[in-house]
Amino acid sequence: MTDSANITLDNVSRFYGEVLGVNRVTLSIPPGITSLVGPNGSGKTTLMNLMTGLVRPTYGEIRIRGIAPSEPQKLFHLVGYSTQFDSFPKGLTGFQFIQSFLRFFGYSSATSLELAGRAIAQVGLTEAADRKIAAYSKGMRQRIKLAQAIAHDPQVLVLDEPLNGLDPLIRAETIALFRRWADEGRHVVVSSHVLHEVDLISDRVILLTGGYVVAEGQIHGVRTEIQEHPMEVLIRCDQPGALASRVFEQEHVVSVQILPDGSGLLVQTRDADRFYRQLNHLALDNIQIESVAPADDNVNSVYQYLIGGEEVSK
Amino acid sequence: MNTSQWAQLFAIIRLEIWKTFFSRRSLWIYLFTLAPVLLFTANSIYAPREQARLARIAEKHQVALANLTAITRGMTNSVVLEQLGEPYQQHTWRHPIEGGRVNERGFYRYTDGKSDFTFHFNNGRVRGIERSDPETLPQNFLIFATIFRFYFLRLAVFFGCVGIFTNLFRGEMLDKSLHFYLLTPVRREILLAGKYLAGLLAAMVIFTASAALQWEALLWQFDHQTVADYFADPSSAHLLSYLGVTVLACAAYGSIFLCAGLLFRNPIVPAAIILLWESANLFLPATLQKLGVIYYLQSLCPLAAAPDSNMPVPLTRLISATTPASASMALVVLILFTLGVLVFSGVRSRKLEINYSTD
Repeated sequence: MTDSANITLDNVSRFYGEVLGVNRVTLSIPPGITSLVGPNGSGKTTLMNLMTGLVRPTYGEIRIRGIAPSEPQKLFHLVGYSTQFDSFPKGLTGFQFIQSFLRFFGYSSATSLELAGRAIAQVGLTEAADRKIAAYSKGMRQRIKLAQAIAHDPQVLVLDEPLNGLDPLIRAETIALFRRWADEGRHVVVSSHVLHEVDLISDRVILLTGGYVVAEGQIHGVRTEIQEHPMEVLIRCDQPGALASRVFEQEHVVSVQILPDGSGLLVQTRDADRFYRQLNHLALDNIQIESVAPADDNVNSVYQYLIGGEEVSK
Repeated sequence: MNTSQWAQLFAIIRLEIWKTFFSRRSLWIYLFTLAPVLLFTANSIYAPREQARLARIAEKHQVALANLTAITRGMTNSVVLEQLGEPYQQHTWRHPIEGGRVNERGFYRYTDGKSDFTFHFNNGRVRGIERSDPETLPQNFLIFATIFRFYFLRLAVFFGCVGIFTNLFRGEMLDKSLHFYLLTPVRREILLAGKYLAGLLAAMVIFTASAALQWEALLWQFDHQTVADYFADPSSAHLLSYLGVTVLACAAYGSIFLCAGLLFRNPIVPAAIILLWESANLFLPATLQKLGVIYYLQSLCPLAAAPDSNMPVPLTRLISATTPASASMALVVLILFTLGVLVFSGVRSRKLEINYSTD
């Protein structure tokens, strides 16, 4: 994938006076779903605002599929951004809001009406489209923001906490929508504080803390890179005691713990790949293995290991 | 500009103008603007009624104008009664003063059916004469000119433009909705131009309508023939000039306050400074007067109204009598100034960022 097809940030820093927004961020984000994860004030929103030109970098350069954020006339045919700001131009209905801003894209009245209707239908707000936004619930406001971001069918979607305030059904539908866009080759950059959802939807994650990127890539790759925390593997089997004694003989295994219900064991190893290769040999002599699965190869564990006790952002 | 950019410009104007006209923030602008219209309307209702009242009184207490004007200060009240007869209204009151003496004051009112005379007495002698003549068209136009210069331009249009134009950007920042504009494929300069034109259109409609309504309200009390006779002289047709000055005031002040809304977190502070500068214009040396927008606007006003005929003498000494700029010079300066401020704002708008937490 060439850089002109990616979102690239080259040594980007942003300071608010003496306060650090983000520092020396270098990224190349390919299409697919990328999640920004980090505690409050870690720089997630600043990074999104930088990508969309709402703030300018103090240093460094940003390109969204080859276009600089300082060229809004080109950028926003390509990019849709649903911000965290829960405010709207006053006095407009949901439909008027979407349609008015679509006119800014140069669409004719008929086209903007059609696109607005389609975007509103996509987020399931058709019935409430003619009501004033001021009367919307938080979830509806979240959805109308999403509709505004997607109405012009952008190839790059930047979504700040897009699942906030959505009920479970709409949440699932929205996640499915993200997946579909990603499968179509679009960029979907989301920030979220719900780590198990990030795990479910993300092709890759970018972990931020204190304005720095502490890790980025596919979850498994990031997890493998964290050497100081051995990988945990959960094995369900019929003879956990026998398997435990064999497993513990391996020099890369740090600890073995039989599960309290006796249904298996939890292994900590410094070399997960080697462990998986050896497991078939270790499990001879009629030990029936039901399942083998990584126990901490997820965003939550990665987050805990890299960012530790800091509170996840809301 | 290409077709798409024109379409964007019109889309911005359409959205903004609707918001400007119907926002709650505009309510006080309407009140401010309607105040002189109400004043002229009230006068146009009152003046003919007053004339009718005097005419009715004159049927019973007719006094010749020559007799009324013959009364001078120092005459006794008995002489006044002898020459004019019984007044249609009188009042006398006494109050004790030092040494057990009594001071007697009072007034007699007479009319010839058109003018109203009030003679004030003190201890039996005329001490003051008040004369109220029927309103004339030229006199009313002079009042209009004074109100236009000292209230309409300096306060109504000025503060109206503060309200309309600072809100175009700063209001959106306060409402945290400016980012929606910046997340569209619109060049910042076009966004600025669209917002400015929307504000200008709204201000023009509001303020020129007010000026025209004031004019109409002023003429209302006069019969058709009086008005026709007055306007038979082409130099008397000033309405278009006043409307032009109003438009130029909206354009110039609008550009200043649009820029202030972009640059300052609290645009009221620069607005107050500019108001102070513009208000002080009369008292500044001639050279400094030329650095105020109001100087060029007033140069274009067709009727020269005195600052205030009742102004205390020491204050009038402070006023610098400056030759007004020629109409062409005033026009060129105002247009160039407006364009200059807009170009500067356009450059600044490229650096505009969304940072609501510190805004």
